[in-house]
Amino acid sequence: MKEIVFENVCKSYGKTTVIDNLNLSINPGERLILLGASGCGKSTTLRLIAGLEEITSGNLYMHGQKVNDVVSGERNVSMVFQNYALYPHMTVADNITYGLKIHKLFKEEIGQRLKAALDMLELNGLENRKPKDLSGGQRQRVALARAVVKRGDFLLLDEPLSNLDAQLRGHARKELVKIHQTYGQTFVYVTHDQVEAMTVGERIALMHEGKLQMLDTPYNVYNRPANVFTAKFIGSPSTNIFEAHYAERSIFLGKQAARLPELWSAHIGKNGCREFYLGIRPEHIRLEREKTDSSFAGIVKYVEEYGNRCGIYFEMEDQEVVAICDRTEFRPGDRVYFSLAADKMHVFDKETTMNIGYPEVYCEHFYQYQSV
Amino acid sequence: MRIDKETKWHILLGCALILSLSPIVFALSSSFKELSEAYSNVFGLPQHPTIGNYIQVFSRLPLLQITTNTLLIAAAVTVFKTVTSTLAAYAFVYFNFKGKNVLYFILISTIFIPFTVTMIPNYLTISQLGFRNNILGVILPQLSDATGIFLIRQAMRTVPRSLIEAARLDKIGHMRILGDIVFPLVKPAVVSSGIMFFINSWNEYVWPVLILKDKANFTLPLALQLFISSEGGTDFTIAMAVSVITMIIPLLLYIIFQRYIISTFTSSGIKG
Repeated sequence: MKEIVFENVCKSYGKTTVIDNLNLSINPGERLILLGASGCGKSTTLRLIAGLEEITSGNLYMHGQKVNDVVSGERNVSMVFQNYALYPHMTVADNITYGLKIHKLFKEEIGQRLKAALDMLELNGLENRKPKDLSGGQRQRVALARAVVKRGDFLLLDEPLSNLDAQLRGHARKELVKIHQTYGQTFVYVTHDQVEAMTVGERIALMHEGKLQMLDTPYNVYNRPANVFTAKFIGSPSTNIFEAHYAERSIFLGKQAARLPELWSAHIGKNGCREFYLGIRPEHIRLEREKTDSSFAGIVKYVEEYGNRCGIYFEMEDQEVVAICDRTEFRPGDRVYFSLAADKMHVFDKETTMNIGYPEVYCEHFYQYQSV
Repeated sequence: MRIDKETKWHILLGCALILSLSPIVFALSSSFKELSEAYSNVFGLPQHPTIGNYIQVFSRLPLLQITTNTLLIAAAVTVFKTVTSTLAAYAFVYFNFKGKNVLYFILISTIFIPFTVTMIPNYLTISQLGFRNNILGVILPQLSDATGIFLIRQAMRTVPRSLIEAARLDKIGHMRILGDIVFPLVKPAVVSSGIMFFINSWNEYVWPVLILKDKANFTLPLALQLFISSEGGTDFTIAMAVSVITMIIPLLLYIIFQRYIISTFTSSGIKG
């Protein structure tokens, strides 16, 4: 059982709490992404798994056994460090096989594993080079090779692609998924890059200020954000969040009101919340020239061209709103009316900032779509 | 005429070189002069070169024994200080234990305690142990060195911690990490510290003069003193011959290890 379970885990340095009561269960053989901004505690979480940091309180289980006091070498973990941590004075082959040699594996076995890793990561011909003679991408692959030859139960990766250029990153992402599929290790991957998280992860654990914000599939994290932070963090440009209130089947954003679809009226009425945060992704805003009873008004500030699409930034009662569409004829200074796609809206409790859920019919559509 | 920047540096370094080399040239040239010529032709090259001074030294002193004593003491002190400094530096950098910083502070502050303060307690200890007039008595109080710990620790701090963590994840013990990973990366600092220990020990005068009484146990600096003190008169051409002999081994060592010494002063951390 290659699972990892955090049970009320806290990690503090003096008075600073870095991980705050973390409860997280990582399934055997899955690719889990720890995602978050700098300083959110994701790397510390990874280091706790590796045994490179001690837990302040709570319990960590690996293989179903408590490992709080188990030293890193005994956890059967391999790790790729952000700076790759290659031994500068050793050749590529020595870097990859050093751990195996120390543990006195048979020469044939070491040779076999080395060859398999070199083949898989396209490092043939570089065996005798020193790390300083390699490019960033090659170093990253050597670090990966060193991690995979160990054949540990857990593969931990700490922002392994952050030093690569954009083109190499795309290739390396596919390589990582291939490695996981080949060896089937439990794969815990730390990144601050949401594209990496979405493309590599089977599940994403989003962290903020040492707390787990959401743990779900990339699709759910994007389409069913658990709270305001998740909605804003995932997606670029980020989700528009409005302070809203509900009265007489209408939704008020500031002083402006628009008719709320019946399904949402019933759902909000059932939940009894009158004041809330309303979230809508830029691509789920529809722009019009004419006012309708379900639209709000704004003034276009500027237009961002993305090549395939464009972003229209407009102001509504001192709040900046962004919408994304394929093409636009709107220009700065134009008056714009915008309406929100009802099945794509998110409503968050004003006090807890947690998602209050969706009208049942949207959930059905959602699950149908997900299963496709 | 304008002198470019490079030429100015060359002139400055040339002056420094002359200042450094002139005492050595003076000693070397005087050691091949008769005493009378040494007074009449003080700075010039020998007019009638002679190896008489060297013959005198070898005939009046058991020089081979003295050189062996000096070498034994310097080698033992160097090996012990290098090993203990490397181990202590590793512990101070990579181990976490209670009071580590306080202990390190106390250790480093011992650098500032003058030799004269520790001289008498050390002398009494060595006397009680019965090591007076024995080269062991010279070696024993010098088995560790705070400056060496400081220098090697500084070098070890430049080794990325992740290298050690990667090895720990592979269940590799500390002695192997030190030997296989850390030592190769800090070798220039360790070798430079070793050379510093060797030269300091080789040139040491006050402590050996307190401990060693018989000529057969003497070290080279004590032998040198015989020719410039009231005991042996001021026969300074012979003294210069002893100086030249004293210089040979440290110079050879420098030539062998110079690339490490240079890289210690020029390296600015570990590059991946």
